[in-house]
Amino acid sequence: MLHSARLDPEEGGGAMTIRNPRDFWAGVMFVAFGLAFVLIAAGTPAFLDPVLGALKVPGYQIGSAVRMGPAYFPIVLGGLLATLGAVILARGFVSGRSGEEVRLTLPFNLLDLVIGLGTFALLLAYGDRVGLSLDGAMLAAAVVVSLLAVRWRPSAKPLVLILAGCLAFGYTLKPLGLVGASLLLIFISALGGHEFKWREVAILFVVLVVFSVLVFVKGLTLPFPVCPGFIDNCPIR
Amino acid sequence: MEGILGNLGIGFVEVFKLQAVTIAGVSMTLPFNILMCLIGVMLGTLIGVLPGVGPVATIAMLLPVTFNLNPIAALIMLAGIYYGAQYGGSTSAILVNLPGESASVVTCLDGYQMARRGRAGPALATAAIGSFVAGCVATLVVALFAPPLAEVALKFGPSEYFSLMVLGLVAATVLAHGSLVKAIAMVLFGLLLGLIGTDVNSGVLRFAFGVSELADGIGFTTVAMGMFGLAEIIANLEQKGEREVFTGKVTHLMPTREDFKRIWAPILRGTALGSMLGILPGGGALLSSFGAYTLEKKISKNSHEFGKGAIEGVAAPESANNAGAQTSFIPLLTLGIPGNAVMALMLGAMMIQGIAPGPQVMTERPQLFWGMIASMWVGNLMLVVLNLPLIGMWIKLLTVPYRILYPSILLFMCVGVYSLSNNPFDVLLMALFGLLGYICVKLECEPAPMILGFILGPLMEENLRRAMLLSRGDPLVFFQKPISAGFLVVSIILLVIVMLPNIRKKREEVFVEEAT
Repeated sequence: MLHSARLDPEEGGGAMTIRNPRDFWAGVMFVAFGLAFVLIAAGTPAFLDPVLGALKVPGYQIGSAVRMGPAYFPIVLGGLLATLGAVILARGFVSGRSGEEVRLTLPFNLLDLVIGLGTFALLLAYGDRVGLSLDGAMLAAAVVVSLLAVRWRPSAKPLVLILAGCLAFGYTLKPLGLVGASLLLIFISALGGHEFKWREVAILFVVLVVFSVLVFVKGLTLPFPVCPGFIDNCPIR
Repeated sequence: MEGILGNLGIGFVEVFKLQAVTIAGVSMTLPFNILMCLIGVMLGTLIGVLPGVGPVATIAMLLPVTFNLNPIAALIMLAGIYYGAQYGGSTSAILVNLPGESASVVTCLDGYQMARRGRAGPALATAAIGSFVAGCVATLVVALFAPPLAEVALKFGPSEYFSLMVLGLVAATVLAHGSLVKAIAMVLFGLLLGLIGTDVNSGVLRFAFGVSELADGIGFTTVAMGMFGLAEIIANLEQKGEREVFTGKVTHLMPTREDFKRIWAPILRGTALGSMLGILPGGGALLSSFGAYTLEKKISKNSHEFGKGAIEGVAAPESANNAGAQTSFIPLLTLGIPGNAVMALMLGAMMIQGIAPGPQVMTERPQLFWGMIASMWVGNLMLVVLNLPLIGMWIKLLTVPYRILYPSILLFMCVGVYSLSNNPFDVLLMALFGLLGYICVKLECEPAPMILGFILGPLMEENLRRAMLLSRGDPLVFFQKPISAGFLVVSIILLVIVMLPNIRKKREEVFVEEAT
């Protein structure tokens, strides 16, 4: 069974039904990104300063058409993007392709996305309070989100475990060396597939590590540590 | 004509030149460039055969490796990967009914049907012969058209460049699959993402949120690997179902006399169409193969056989994609403007080597320019000579299950991204773009136009600023200069044509047809 949380909140509601959720959410995404770029480039309006306080965004210089400042081009583009986004969003209510209903099946919903990204934000911002380094915090967040996905959103496993595996590799390469980092990457990402066979993955890991050490470290002389930092006498340097 | 032969001569000398190189501490004298060409085309065939690994991700992975090579060897190898992938893609399309490479999607239609009727051999040979003919013709096209184009391009000012880029982006959206409005929105989104980093004119750090790693902007390699590589792997894993490798033995490689009669015209038509579509900004191998198949289906007298194993349906698109792959180097080499994602990576590779792409490359570095073009012909020859005998090996490779393949691809991608600046931040960015790419696929937003926008963003802003400064803020300058006005008028005409209700319906039909 493929679990699929649907993203449209207005399911079955009156005249304002979202006919094409793919258009609707694409529109939402474009409007959000467009406005974000305009807001950061132009800054928040001055009359809001007392309300926003420290949250105020200063913005960049706009300049004139003759001498464009750093904010000119982004504001134009961002405005266009938000406008087009609004058109696409509106189309989501009008068009369904030739009468049939268009479904959007994402293996996660908006709340999941917020929880996932929030986990990373929280651990990165406050990880040092519980004694986690940046690398540790990133690894911890990747593991937490992976566990959440495996437990509650099995259909999101490919997405979450592949991304988590990459992060685990990147942030453990220095402390754990190429051997440790690829161990994490290969096992985490292999768990994201349909079948997981211990022996097969273990053999794959050994082959890939030998290959990477020979090609990347020896052949191309990439400055990667091979063994974990806590092993003092590493056979390969 | 004589000039061209002379120029190609310079190129061939460069390709076969002996060089003193040091490999793993041992120095020796080798024809290094031709070796890199061989490695490139073999790698290209390999990734072309394997479904789920495209040339974009591979070239992106190998970019850091090319730091240590000399510029000519690096570019020859990377180019080999692109057109080598067009050869390899047909193998898995014909034998497994899976496009190993996106440009081979249409080859599946008739190629697999031929294989099911026991004619896999002739289908593979047709693809190889078509690709070789196309490769030879396209090499000549590049050699003939690049010099005059570069001469025109030398006269371009900022307004011409700006308008040309507008045309390129419009063409990319018009030719993208699916909704036009979404494609334009993706271009704008890409342009905005390209602006992240330090503004060249004012030195202001834009959209960086205080992250020092973003000062130089987001690396194109990172974006490409996330949006194409990661998103593709995730999408593949979500689809259940094992692929079936065509088990029947491949016998009788050579097409019959009857086959040859049927394929020579489609090969030439495919080559011609592919060469033209490849030059267009936003064009390249993918568009060429789709275009050639549609054309052939329209005009062939065997059109009733299409979809049931017509040999023309293999010959035309396979010739076209190879021709398109090669001629798409023309805008990059003469104007310094990449027409598609692979060319954008090549542009990146040139910049890494300290070469500013543009019309001056041909006059300032003739060895590099003509060496690359000559290498394309040599590479094509190597492909056709090596690949037909090696077909058994490629078939074996296809039996490797995806659950073994994808962790390996992931590892190589991560190593490649990490080594860009020895910083885990790039891996984080790649993961973020993987998520974005996945969401875009689900929302039916094509990533290709966005990638093009991402590359052109800073260039467009730069040229817009200069043009406006020169014209004292008068935006009409873009319509007063004839060349610039021409580009803009063509862009507007393209957009209007696509929005006409009739054409719009047709366009949707074409894409629906291709998708099934």
